Amino acid sequence: MAIVAQSSTLGRSSRMLLAWGVGLTFFFPIFWMVLTSFKTDADAVKPEYLFYFTPTLENYTNMTENYDYWRFAANSVITSVFATLFTLTVGIPAAYAMAFNPSRHTKDVLMWMLSTKMLPAAAVLYPMTFLTKNFLGIFDTHFLLIIVLSLINLPIVVWMLFTYFKEIPKEIIEAGKMDGVDTWGEIKEILVPLAWGGIASTALLCFIFCWNEAYWTVRLTTTDAATLSKLIEGNRAPEGLFFGRLSAVSAAAVGPIIVLGWFCQKQLVQGLTFGAVK
Amino acid sequence: MNNRKLPRLLQTPAVLLLLVWMLVPLSMTLFFSFIRYVLNNLRRPEWTSPSIDNWRGFGNYDFVLHSKDFLFAIQNSLFIVGSILFLTVILGVLIAILINNAFPGRGIVRVLLISPFFVMPAVNAVLWINMILDPVLGLQGIAIEGINGVIMSLKDAPIVGWFFSLWPTLEPISFRATQTSAYAVIIMVTWQWTPFAVLIFMTSLQSEDQQQKEAAVLDGAGPWSQFRFLTLPHLGRPIAIVVMIQAIFHLSLYAEIEIVSRGNGNKNLPYLIGEFANNNIGAASATGIFAVILANIVAIFLLRMVGKTLME
Repeated sequence: MAIVAQSSTLGRSSRMLLAWGVGLTFFFPIFWMVLTSFKTDADAVKPEYLFYFTPTLENYTNMTENYDYWRFAANSVITSVFATLFTLTVGIPAAYAMAFNPSRHTKDVLMWMLSTKMLPAAAVLYPMTFLTKNFLGIFDTHFLLIIVLSLINLPIVVWMLFTYFKEIPKEIIEAGKMDGVDTWGEIKEILVPLAWGGIASTALLCFIFCWNEAYWTVRLTTTDAATLSKLIEGNRAPEGLFFGRLSAVSAAAVGPIIVLGWFCQKQLVQGLTFGAVK
Repeated sequence: MNNRKLPRLLQTPAVLLLLVWMLVPLSMTLFFSFIRYVLNNLRRPEWTSPSIDNWRGFGNYDFVLHSKDFLFAIQNSLFIVGSILFLTVILGVLIAILINNAFPGRGIVRVLLISPFFVMPAVNAVLWINMILDPVLGLQGIAIEGINGVIMSLKDAPIVGWFFSLWPTLEPISFRATQTSAYAVIIMVTWQWTPFAVLIFMTSLQSEDQQQKEAAVLDGAGPWSQFRFLTLPHLGRPIAIVVMIQAIFHLSLYAEIEIVSRGNGNKNLPYLIGEFANNNIGAASATGIFAVILANIVAIFLLRMVGKTLME
């Protein structure tokens, strides 16, 4: 639309206003949540205090003192970090094999991997609970969450990495072979440094999906490994009487991820296109 | 080990892990779906442990097919996913075109826009249903009350009051009700995923062929036909990707549905499975198998659509 936009200053400035309006509208609920988190529960529901109120940190101190926020947050960090690492450890070799030594079935394998994402979690929840509680005894452990989070994100991770790896010219890898580098060397010395940006943005997205996962994390934990999504679940106010408290817990749960996303948005977008956008 | 074999074997761990992840729980679900298996039953305690002696054949499937919520859950699933896809693609294309050109503060607008995508689904639902959509305490209630206040004062005003006296008083909408809870889910998920669509489409627009555009302008193409014959075909693949990724995520919506109305008037298959699983594991498993079949039908459609673009 570049040429069309060479219209009047009026047209340009109205487009700018519209764009700003759209951006602010989309951001507004998040802004509102953060604003409300500094109001007391009583003030949060009074129309006269919509924008004029005495800010208080009460909700946040309350949260860290009475709700054990840091324990939930630590569990979120531990499970998300380790799940991301494990997924990459399994995913990088797989994507490497598919990108540089494809067979006739590579496409089918990729498609099949993606189709596992379609498996409704609810359909296998009971067997998972049954197995982990009665047979394996790993219910409500970090170990279990790390494995489950890895498996639900593995297809997306392999696919994203595959997209990035395909962009790397085969000749570079071949040149490594000539120098007598073995397969591990190829991955470690050549592939990872070359595809570093892609690997980093894949890792980031995987981390975000792990952090935001609510279905499995809520249902496969009780106390020990419970993550922030469990804290939110437990704090669902009956008919919204505790807007201040609710907002503080929510803001503390999504804040770190939103800030992380802001810093890395450019790389993230590239990874999300799955190679559909050249 | 020859030169080709080891690299091929590197994908084995990933494939095996996913295979186990799919097959073990799924085969258990399949087995449970053919037996009578409930968690609590005082009269028939033998049904409370999974065993082959409680074989029921297709009885669970029959029971689920005739339960009143099953067909509604499928219809509602498709309604929710379809509406979200429609809205996010339309809004996504429009907003992407709007912010595709440089303007002061474009970077900030991008950052503001992408933010909803990072919000946890559970937080998203809690935030919208309580603080925004609530008919009394939420912003909706406060806004409607404000508008009504203005109308009331206009009614009392001289001269114009005569005109405004026939205006109605607005009623806030309760989004937890049976008829409206699905709309609440559509609104909140659309808010969360439109940014995703916008970013993908924007990335795609950046790579549009500018020379072709210029040629079209010289040939006298207006903005509409430029959009229709150049931009839209160019966006074909990104649209396919956006539809596929979103369908994968939204077919298994759960947190939003639970938080908005606990499934009241608004169920999908995962939620129905959850309800059955409170006691009747047999019926829940049979519903699970139906859900797997439905997911596969959708998957075949989608993967056909996107599969071509993947290997090029």
